Amino acid sequence: MFKKEGEGVEEIETIIGPSVQVEGDFIAAGDVVVEGMVSGKLKTEKNLRVGTGAKIFASVAAQNALIAGEIQGNVKVDGNLELTGTARVFGDVKAKTLTIASGACLHGKCQAGEDRKSKLEKIEERAKPKLREKEKAAAASAIISS
Amino acid sequence: MYLYLYDSFLNKKKYNTVLARIETRLTDLGIGGKIFRLSPLRNVEELVADEIRGGTKTIVVVGNDKTLNQIVNISARHDCTIGLIPIGPDNTIARIIGIPESEAACNVLAARMVKKIDLGKINNVYFLSGLQLDGSAVTLHCENQYVITPPRPKSAITICNLRPLSITGLGIAYFNPEDGLLEVLVQPPASGLFKMRKGSIASQSVIPFKKLLITSRGSSTSVLTDGQQIIKTPASVEVAPRKLRLIVGKERRF
Repeated sequence: MFKKEGEGVEEIETIIGPSVQVEGDFIAAGDVVVEGMVSGKLKTEKNLRVGTGAKIFASVAAQNALIAGEIQGNVKVDGNLELTGTARVFGDVKAKTLTIASGACLHGKCQAGEDRKSKLEKIEERAKPKLREKEKAAAASAIISS
Repeated sequence: MYLYLYDSFLNKKKYNTVLARIETRLTDLGIGGKIFRLSPLRNVEELVADEIRGGTKTIVVVGNDKTLNQIVNISARHDCTIGLIPIGPDNTIARIIGIPESEAACNVLAARMVKKIDLGKINNVYFLSGLQLDGSAVTLHCENQYVITPPRPKSAITICNLRPLSITGLGIAYFNPEDGLLEVLVQPPASGLFKMRKGSIASQSVIPFKKLLITSRGSSTSVLTDGQQIIKTPASVEVAPRKLRLIVGKERRF
């Protein structure tokens, strides 16, 4: 998801280092690396990496996220969310794929997997009212005939 | 048609030989033109405006960073292409845009690789490379959405358009003057054994932006533009996308 330090990075990343504090609605288009403090709202259309020493007091939204620091707020990730052993999350977590390493701390509701129901479930749901109608009709015809 | 602007420090006798060699090379390459020597008594803005009206398309600055920044600020308001022949010390911009020193720069001028690059603008003053400010006393309000505060005292803040030469480890996408963005670079104070690691990625912050407001936490502080002009806070900074046509070399760092 992220290239290692020192490798040539081709896409621009926003780096919020340990020497910086950001307050407000931070909305980025590219990858974001947080090593410092963020409060308010943090949203990126791409990947997010929260470093070990980072503290985020904000609701977080990203495409994919790797969390090793502390987040106090809800986390919503469209793709993969990975909590490392040093991660501390105080808030609800929602992701398509969730990986939690041993030692990670998660206080909040956890929702992983696709929101959408499978095709079979949908077909069954659609079929249920029709079956009920048929059963009612059959019951009514039985009463009439008797 | 070319206009060559010589900085006043080139009047010193020690530069005569270099200038003579440069002039010969320019004539050989067929890109000779009018030569003007800058002096504190001469109004450069009027001179440049008159020459552009007279049909000059390319202004070549002969001097150092200070000379270039002075002319960039004027040429941003006119339609012309800027070239550079670096001579003497303080020529970091030339290294960033890939122009070799003195005579060799004439070949780059003749090759004429022109790039439209962004400029930064602080309170109606244009800058090419960046702004320096003291991080302990300022707050940056970015895009009217969030606030950046460096909590550590003595953090150095640089607002960059061109890549600072001290930065290593960050890819070519950073500090690109063609991307329509400026970058806030926050570097914590280096101390003790870690002084050598000041340029490491781990400790610094890089935040791209289009518009920000610099305010001071206490009394008004100063912002240094391209190392020459001092502007007091509060000051608004924004990017002027593709504002400058600049002749660059193959060895440029963007």
